[in-house]
Amino acid sequence: MSAVRTIARQPLGRAALAVLALVALLAAAGGRLAPLDPLAQDPAHLLQGPGGAHLLGTDYLGRDVLSRLLAGTGPSVLAALEAVGAAMLLGVLPGLASVRFAPALAWASLRAVDALMTLPFTLFAIAAVGVLGNGLHQAMLALGVLLAPLFFRVTRAAALGLDRAQYVEAAELMGGGRVYVLRAHVWRKVLPTVAVTTAHALATSLLTVASLTFLGIGVQPPAPTWGGMLASDLGFLSQQPWAPALPAALIMLTVGALNLLADTVRDADPADGPALDTPASNHPADTPKEQADARRPAHA
Amino acid sequence: MPADPPTPEPSPGRPVLTVDGLHVTVAHGRTEAVRDVSFTVRAGEAVALVGESGSGKTLTCRAVLGLLAPGVAVPAGRISLGDTELTGLDERAWRRIRGSRLGAVFQDPGSYLNPSLTVGRQLAEPLRLRLRLSRAEARRRAVDLFAAVGLHDPEAVHDRYPHELSGGMLQRVLIAIAVSGEPELLVADEATTALDTVVQAEVLELLDRLRAERGLALLLVTHDLAVVAEVSDRLLVCYAGEIVEDGPTAEVVAAPAHPYTEALLRVAPLGARGRRELAVIPGRPPEPGTAGPGCRFAPRCTYATDACTAAPVALDPVPGTHRRSVRCLRAADLALQGAAAPDRTPPRTPDREPDRTEVPA
Amino acid sequence: MTVTTEAPTPAPPAPAAAATAAPRLRIRGLDVAYHRGEPVLSGVDLDARAGEILGVIGETGSGKTTLARAVVGLAPVTAGRITVDGEDRTALRGRALRAARRAGAVQYMFQDPLRSLDPDLTVSRLVGEPLEIARVPAAERAERVAAALDQVGLDGALAGRTPGRLSGGQRQRVALARAIVTRPRLLLADEPVSALDASNRNHVLRLLDRLRHDLGPAVVVISHDLDSLAGVADRIAVLYRGRVVEEGPAEAVLTEPLHPYSALLAASAPSLDPGRRADLALLRTPAARPPAASGCAFAHRCPFAGPDCAPRPAAVEPRPGRLVACHRAPDWRSRLAR
Repeated sequence: MSAVRTIARQPLGRAALAVLALVALLAAAGGRLAPLDPLAQDPAHLLQGPGGAHLLGTDYLGRDVLSRLLAGTGPSVLAALEAVGAAMLLGVLPGLASVRFAPALAWASLRAVDALMTLPFTLFAIAAVGVLGNGLHQAMLALGVLLAPLFFRVTRAAALGLDRAQYVEAAELMGGGRVYVLRAHVWRKVLPTVAVTTAHALATSLLTVASLTFLGIGVQPPAPTWGGMLASDLGFLSQQPWAPALPAALIMLTVGALNLLADTVRDADPADGPALDTPASNHPADTPKEQADARRPAHA
Repeated sequence: MPADPPTPEPSPGRPVLTVDGLHVTVAHGRTEAVRDVSFTVRAGEAVALVGESGSGKTLTCRAVLGLLAPGVAVPAGRISLGDTELTGLDERAWRRIRGSRLGAVFQDPGSYLNPSLTVGRQLAEPLRLRLRLSRAEARRRAVDLFAAVGLHDPEAVHDRYPHELSGGMLQRVLIAIAVSGEPELLVADEATTALDTVVQAEVLELLDRLRAERGLALLLVTHDLAVVAEVSDRLLVCYAGEIVEDGPTAEVVAAPAHPYTEALLRVAPLGARGRRELAVIPGRPPEPGTAGPGCRFAPRCTYATDACTAAPVALDPVPGTHRRSVRCLRAADLALQGAAAPDRTPPRTPDREPDRTEVPA
Repeated sequence: MTVTTEAPTPAPPAPAAAATAAPRLRIRGLDVAYHRGEPVLSGVDLDARAGEILGVIGETGSGKTTLARAVVGLAPVTAGRITVDGEDRTALRGRALRAARRAGAVQYMFQDPLRSLDPDLTVSRLVGEPLEIARVPAAERAERVAAALDQVGLDGALAGRTPGRLSGGQRQRVALARAIVTRPRLLLADEPVSALDASNRNHVLRLLDRLRHDLGPAVVVISHDLDSLAGVADRIAVLYRGRVVEEGPAEAVLTEPLHPYSALLAASAPSLDPGRRADLALLRTPAARPPAASGCAFAHRCPFAGPDCAPRPAAVEPRPGRLVACHRAPDWRSRLAR
């Protein structure tokens, strides 16, 4: 993976990767790392501050906040991935296809996207949940559908610029088909754009879980998620003003790392070429073979 | 215009541009790309800076125009236009000088014009502001200038947009804009490189005519020796950031004193219309900052000796000549081959073997 | 001498069999027009034989690039036939066109390798791309890529570089290697040297010359610059506003042009010849008129044009092997001397 290596070469990219690795670790093993049962209520210790048996305190039902944060990582991240995965599936492939294939398809998909973009998100989420039943998966699927136009447009715009690139024409002249051109030439150029969009979409999804919880959509209590915790903690601001800061910090840290990563991916875009003030790097000297060749007569 | 090699030297006009000991560094001072370049362009004189890419000719030209990219600096040397010292001017003073006393044309004329304004307006507007002319008066002046640069139907051209004109016409418009401020010096940086052969010849003639009629000093910057062999009075051959040969064009072309000049003449298509030898200069110029202490051309030079690379080689007068100098240790003992003007008896009787495969009937 | 040179070797006389055989590329009555607009090419007849370099020269807008693009099916042909080794290329559509392209018998070298080479791919991948598309097995592909790089004089050490890390001359040779890796029978090179300095220009021209000897394809070199053709072309066709106005052996066309436009081109090229300016003055018109819609395409810029130039001139062969389309061909030169 040359992309990962490019990112890891930059200090900010390294930091972002480290944070995301930590989040991934928590997502995979968070439940097992939890010191207490995240669902166990302790009516004797409601809304406690940090310290003692509960390292980060308890919530309004006396549940251990640290355990809930740890256990909530997995579902939160998974939900965000689910939404973004659905969005990519529905956005990127049609976006690429709309450029390289039949104009009728392009027209139809553009109209579909326009229609989707006019839908107010909340209304659509409520409708989706109403049809599919209330649950995190259903809500995230709805979110994925609504995020798809973003991917569609971004992918299409990037691919559209490449469609008339001369190397694409050259590949067609060699008899390369549409799928070949997509695979060999277009995909690599679109990838950085898609990566940036993905990072932003993941961040949006994490935050959306919180806003959906306000409406009682998606997160089913008592299951912990970051967004759900943030929503419920906000209800007890007067008693525990600092409590929302904990899930908020985790969300911000993850979102920040994703944005940083996205920026690094974009800046490492090889199409930008080498920096201007290092002329030596892009002017390699003649190799001995070339020098010998220059001396060789044209007719051997 | 040196029509024949033994042209008597034009009486030297007053110096317009004087570059003295110019150094240019790139990469924020880390790399020296131009070293100790000195030359003078006099009124009515055309001086050509010739060299491959990376020879420092473009940086020198940009330094003269005060158009250096970020990270590029002039740490030493003086550039003066008439009595005005140009080095160390602030951006406002530069703009004033460039609008009036210095004109410039570049390779890609289209990118220097605003696509949404007529070309006439782009010429007339600055004229109107600078000379406080009425609109009608400015328009008349603009049309006159368009006519002076050889644009057919200048009235119509005045109201055209840049995209409606061909590359050659755009270059003429740019030249009209460049000379509208009555500059003392006109800098042409690869100004004819992208043009068609016929148009290139016309634009070169136009520059030559402006030089003759207006006493303009011309600084022509190009990689193509063939282009300037005919229209320049003086040739400065640049190599790896240094001037390696300096002298009257006709003399340099007929009898080069530096092996690099000889090589350039060999590869240049100077009028040989037959199957010419396709000569190649092996190797490539050193990257800026990587050259050794001695002659920078030595690694590519078949005449090089150990002495050539040992110590810096000075730009010395060529023995037995007037106003010629060369940066070569062996200049005195080499008999280098120049390019001769072709015999005027062809095209009727080609003196070459008819070595073509005739098309089978 | 710093400069390596070689005695220019004349192209070997074509074998008797080849001389009588049909030309490799044959273009007859070719018309090209975009969007039912003014024709870009009209009535073009051209031949290129195996092992021969045909130079096509013309100014911007003369249709020279369109001519090459028409041969590879990238321009809308409205009339005429283009055959390569007798096989009609204009009729190819869809699957047949794709199959023909994969076979790689005809290769088109784009003008600017910076744009026609994908900046993200390595040299070896770029050169091997035609073979990859044609599903040539990887082992054979690697072998042929190495051979092609060797033929254009590029070191194998460059194989892992991307185009951005090559010099202009190297990039042009990568484009050439990619064009010959399929062992084409016809190679069309669009301005292969116009962006290069004189030394690199000669280097690439020498490669083209050597390749047609070693591999024997017909080569069509398109250029706006007569000097890049003077070195290598065997024959030259002069294109003006979509029509071939003159065609013949290269040196003859350049030193003794039969068409006033060819003469103007030849006299405009940089030269040390002091008499050139005088010729130029006689070959130019004081004021160009707008071009006529029909008739001789050059009449509006021709100092020799008269009222009898109104019909479109047919190509005639005043001398064996030389074609010219000009009503004034027999007598304009005598008026030049005056």
